[in-house]
Amino acid sequence: MQRSLIACFFRASLCAEGLVNEDVKRTLDLSSHLAKITAEIQLANHGASRVNGFTLALEAELAPHLAFIGVKGEEEEDESLELKETTVHGQSGKFFEAQLPSSLAPGAKLRVKVETVFSHVLKPFPTHITQAERQLVVFQGNHYLYSPYPTRSQTTRVRLASKTVESYTKLGNPTKSDETVEYGPFKDVPPFSQDAMKIHYENNTPFLSISSITRTVEVSHWGNIAVEETIDLRHTGAYLKGPFSRYDYQRQSDSGISSVKSFKTILPASAQDVYYRDEIGNISTSHLQVLDDSVEVEIRPRFPLFGGWKTHYIVGYNLPSYEYLYNLGDQYALKLRLVDHVYDDQVIDQLTVKLILPEGARNIHMDTPYPITRSQDELHYTYLDTFGRPVLVATKNNLVEQHIQDVVVHYTFNKILMLQEPLLVVGAFYILFFTVIIYVRLDFSITKDPAAEVRMKVASITEQVLTLVNKRLGLYRHMDEVVNRYKQTRDTGALNSGRKTLEAEHRTLSNDISALQARLKSEGSDLAEKVGEIQKLDNQLKDLVCRSCQEAERLVAGKVKKDTYIDSDKTLSGKRQELVSRIDSLLDAL
Amino acid sequence: MAEHHTASDCKHKTSSNAGGSVSGNGRPNSPAGCGGSGGLSGGLTQPAGWQSLLSFTILFLAWLAGFSSRLFAVIRFESIIHEFDPWFNYRSTHHLTTNGFYEFLNWFDERAWYPLGRIVGGTVYPGLMVTAGLIHYILNLLHVTVHIRDVCVFLAPVFSGLTAISTFLLTRELWNQGAGLLAACFIAIVPGYISRSVAGSFDNEGIAIFALQFTYYLWVKSVKTGSVFWAIGCCLSYFYMVSAWGGYVFIINLIPLHVFALLLMQRFSRRLYIAYSTFYIVGLVLSMQIPFVGFQPIRTSEHMAAAGVFALLQAYAFLQYLKDRLTRQEFQTLFFLGVSLAAGVVFLTVIYLTYTGESHLPVMLRYAKIHIPIIASVSEHQPTTWVSFFFDLHILVCTFPAGLWFCIKNINDERVFVALYAISAVYFAGVMVRLMLTLTPVVCMLSAIAFSSVFEHYLGDDMKRENPPAEDSKQDRPEEGLGPNIKSIVTMLMLMLLMMFAVHCTWVTSNAYSSPSVVLASYNHDGSRNILDDFREAYYWLRQNTDEHARVMSWWDYGYQIAGMANRTTLVDNNTWNNSHIALVGKAMSSNESAAYEIMKSLDVDYVLIIFGGVIGYSGDDINKFLWMVRIAEGEHPKDIRESDYFTPQGEFRVDKAGSPTLLNCLMYKMSYYRFGPYTRLDFRTPPGFDRTRNAEIGNKDIRLKHLEEAFTSEHWLVRIYRVKKQENRQALDHKLRNIAAKQKYTSKKVLPSLFH
Repeated sequence: MQRSLIACFFRASLCAEGLVNEDVKRTLDLSSHLAKITAEIQLANHGASRVNGFTLALEAELAPHLAFIGVKGEEEEDESLELKETTVHGQSGKFFEAQLPSSLAPGAKLRVKVETVFSHVLKPFPTHITQAERQLVVFQGNHYLYSPYPTRSQTTRVRLASKTVESYTKLGNPTKSDETVEYGPFKDVPPFSQDAMKIHYENNTPFLSISSITRTVEVSHWGNIAVEETIDLRHTGAYLKGPFSRYDYQRQSDSGISSVKSFKTILPASAQDVYYRDEIGNISTSHLQVLDDSVEVEIRPRFPLFGGWKTHYIVGYNLPSYEYLYNLGDQYALKLRLVDHVYDDQVIDQLTVKLILPEGARNIHMDTPYPITRSQDELHYTYLDTFGRPVLVATKNNLVEQHIQDVVVHYTFNKILMLQEPLLVVGAFYILFFTVIIYVRLDFSITKDPAAEVRMKVASITEQVLTLVNKRLGLYRHMDEVVNRYKQTRDTGALNSGRKTLEAEHRTLSNDISALQARLKSEGSDLAEKVGEIQKLDNQLKDLVCRSCQEAERLVAGKVKKDTYIDSDKTLSGKRQELVSRIDSLLDAL
Repeated sequence: MAEHHTASDCKHKTSSNAGGSVSGNGRPNSPAGCGGSGGLSGGLTQPAGWQSLLSFTILFLAWLAGFSSRLFAVIRFESIIHEFDPWFNYRSTHHLTTNGFYEFLNWFDERAWYPLGRIVGGTVYPGLMVTAGLIHYILNLLHVTVHIRDVCVFLAPVFSGLTAISTFLLTRELWNQGAGLLAACFIAIVPGYISRSVAGSFDNEGIAIFALQFTYYLWVKSVKTGSVFWAIGCCLSYFYMVSAWGGYVFIINLIPLHVFALLLMQRFSRRLYIAYSTFYIVGLVLSMQIPFVGFQPIRTSEHMAAAGVFALLQAYAFLQYLKDRLTRQEFQTLFFLGVSLAAGVVFLTVIYLTYTGESHLPVMLRYAKIHIPIIASVSEHQPTTWVSFFFDLHILVCTFPAGLWFCIKNINDERVFVALYAISAVYFAGVMVRLMLTLTPVVCMLSAIAFSSVFEHYLGDDMKRENPPAEDSKQDRPEEGLGPNIKSIVTMLMLMLLMMFAVHCTWVTSNAYSSPSVVLASYNHDGSRNILDDFREAYYWLRQNTDEHARVMSWWDYGYQIAGMANRTTLVDNNTWNNSHIALVGKAMSSNESAAYEIMKSLDVDYVLIIFGGVIGYSGDDINKFLWMVRIAEGEHPKDIRESDYFTPQGEFRVDKAGSPTLLNCLMYKMSYYRFGPYTRLDFRTPPGFDRTRNAEIGNKDIRLKHLEEAFTSEHWLVRIYRVKKQENRQALDHKLRNIAAKQKYTSKKVLPSLFH
């Protein structure tokens, strides 16, 4: 007290501003594992000049744990004031300069609401408990508002997590009812006054904190934004001492009351393909609930988290890019949350954000809602990348729920580059097929194999022979049809013309085959003999066809009886069958 | 469309034709068929073009079918490494990809076999890890960012496609293209091979069967052609096989056996001489490059057959050469001289080998199997039952003798090979369940030959009968006494068998071989599924919440999983090379708590992990394996542990009140049933402390642990982890003790003051 008075003496300039805290209502919310301190301050300008801003101060003991500080006007819709960190000479602690939207005239009053959130200030005591025990924590703070201005009147109200309170400091005879302790009112407190407040109470809320989270956002211009969060989670409450008994945990409802079984993570409403896994695979103990305005994942770690236990997991999902990516020509803007909800009252000790932009993004500019440390940009290579995607890397420590705000990234991207990836695929396939074509068509062997060449030649010749022979057999079949028709219509002209065409075509085919046979012979293949045999058989076959033709003529002319004709026809066709099958077998042998 | 049909019919005909030679013998009904007058231009109008297109399509589909039928586990559960050994392979592959190849070769794993450690680089077949690592490296080079786990999970299914192709090639060399395609289809889906190559089973066998088949293909090819090129290819493939699996010994014995059989059958040729000489020399040198194999190929008896046959072949060739040069008389003298010399050499070798004790290996193996319980305790080392032959091979096991008979009937050089392959593989498969794997490919090939011959006969004639012109076929002549009805009935029957084979394969794959065994699933009455993820729960707890250098004692089955998933030091693992160390762990498990504590203290144990299935009725738990622990411990410590102590006087193994007191007070029993007594009143028909796995009410319900405390138990009690308490601080010595201490005459007086003040 004395010290602060002296300090005030030295800081004449500050006092000279003439600002006074007329009325202060402080609320210390200690019901979770965070200390949320809100102060509603009525500021009055007792000085002579107009005041454009005022200074906020934090105690040196609490300042390193500060996660969030925000100042708002009285009304809900008021914009929060801009804060700038300053130093105050000769005073310990942390100081912020708040800019007022409009300056405060002498004699005028103003109400502001200062909201601060501190993490890791509730210390478990005892530090080690058994599974059956309850968790007790100690909070050490200040009874008064730590302020560079004198305070006329103030009250402090502390909200606890339970009725059980081991001890609390009794400055000014506070009143305690159920879960709250009320201090004050204190009158005329000088600037920078501190008086140690200590509350030791039961707090079984899960002391869960994220020791590190890496949030990777990969933007694709093909319509998808992939988000992946790698999370290290730790129970920072009282350590578990002694054994963990599953029996007690399953049978007694109050066993391990401060442990964490599961929690809910809220993802954006359009999140799809959510996965929840770790190094050794999918974590099967989770549930997904799709609500109207969000997707809720019930995250259950593989094992319940007791004090001092930790776990590590990955949550990922896809978002449609049209909800987050805006463009005007080649100008793009990506607007999405810098950090997202993991669990209620979350504490993030260390955050790393990696924003992977499409390959070819240039002129990148990042607008963050609060200061954040940018690291060196990286390059990321994934499917079909050639020169790498730019990665923005940013880190920040000690974040809470209030930090869930949007970041905007502006960049330019030439749309022609969209074609690059499909063209790469097309090119790769083109090269593949072309190589196969080249390989199949050209001969790469270093030795010449004349035998193989001859074999291939012979194969192609026999191929042709086969076609021709088949065609020739087809001719006979065609002739049969002609004869049959002749038997019905008795049209001699048609028969004769049919016979003529047969003769003509047969001759050309036979000549072709003989030519091929000669070529086979010149290649030195023994198949030539077989072809010769086929030719011989074919001659006989043709004779038979001619004879059946003549027989038919004779039948039509009435020179033979029907019975004899049928008999002779049968023998003829029998012979033909035999010849055809012999030719077939020869063909098979080719 | 019609043209397409006729054309593909032609194709079918040719592909099932002997020799695979190009011959378009199918005469189409319409003149415009394969004949070439059709509108299709280029390769498709030629039968050869259709043939390769069809083969390509069939092989591609076989690959696809094989790949997709191995994905049951991935679809039902997730992309995860299965079982036990794959976890080690995965861990080493991970090490390889993160630290590089040389680091991997020099890797000393201090997390295994505490306190001994393990030289991993020198005690593994690195082929599998290098293959997966290489694929991962190439994919990442192309910026295909695939995690190494996914590469490992899908490696075996991808290689099954390659196996199908190499089986196709081999069968085509042995018989014809049609049989080759059938064989490829068989091997793609046959359960005997799927059992070792489902997605997630990242094991040596997955790639080794491919290497085996491909080596055999190249061998047959080099015997056929007598070309050094193919022989060198065979060596390279053999090298890959050596790097991948210990089963390479099968190759290095089967190929010499083939050569020997050919020599006996008077089928010696220069082709054989070139092929084997090249293969033996280059293959030997290459195989010695694998650190784990080292000098074994010239030292151990299982490689001696190859060397002997090599010498024999040289001698035979030399004799052949002399025969051309010498007269009959000279030759005979030389022959006798040579024979006596050879006999002398063989005699000396045998004496040498007997002296060094190397040639007793087969005897020792048999001895080991009977007398060392650790080998007998592994279920896959049991002899194969008839049921499992049918289960794994279905109709193929019945048809493959037919294929073998076809091969022997039309014998040639390479069919001698397949016959030997079949006979030896049948023998090995009969000895050990796990060697079913080497039998499967040859069964597929021979069955394919049998089916192909049958189809060729029945389907082929059918087509021919249809082919002649319509009026010719009016006069039906009975062909070879078989009517068309019989033919179609036989064909239908065969097709039906094949269909049932496919159904059976899918069923077996789905039900028997597609469980990751790391994750268990149970089904409710309404068909919904419960996943029991207790193993990973406990392993992950170990990974996250114990000291990084904590030492975990468990039975050796879980060693690899603990190392892989929990990343903690283990005492014993599935690489059971040190029997006495395992016996020590077995002794700790089967002793009473204070005796066990002494052992655990000497081994620096921090945690003890056991598997307990009594709550959910999981039968593969440690109590059911317990007798093996006792037996293995007894083998090394017969004075302290006796198997008979754990049985009731009637010779039963019981956990209830009637059980033997030694059992009811041993560490394993206490850890399994600690705080179990009052638990499990899940239904009211059973008393408290009812063990669902063994259907008995436990005999010792009041279990207190003195030196251990429960550290973690998973949700369904499947895994229980105990912490070994550190020794408490010595209590301040009270007055009485001081008196006792003072009586010790030999205590140095100089020390005493500082002790007590």
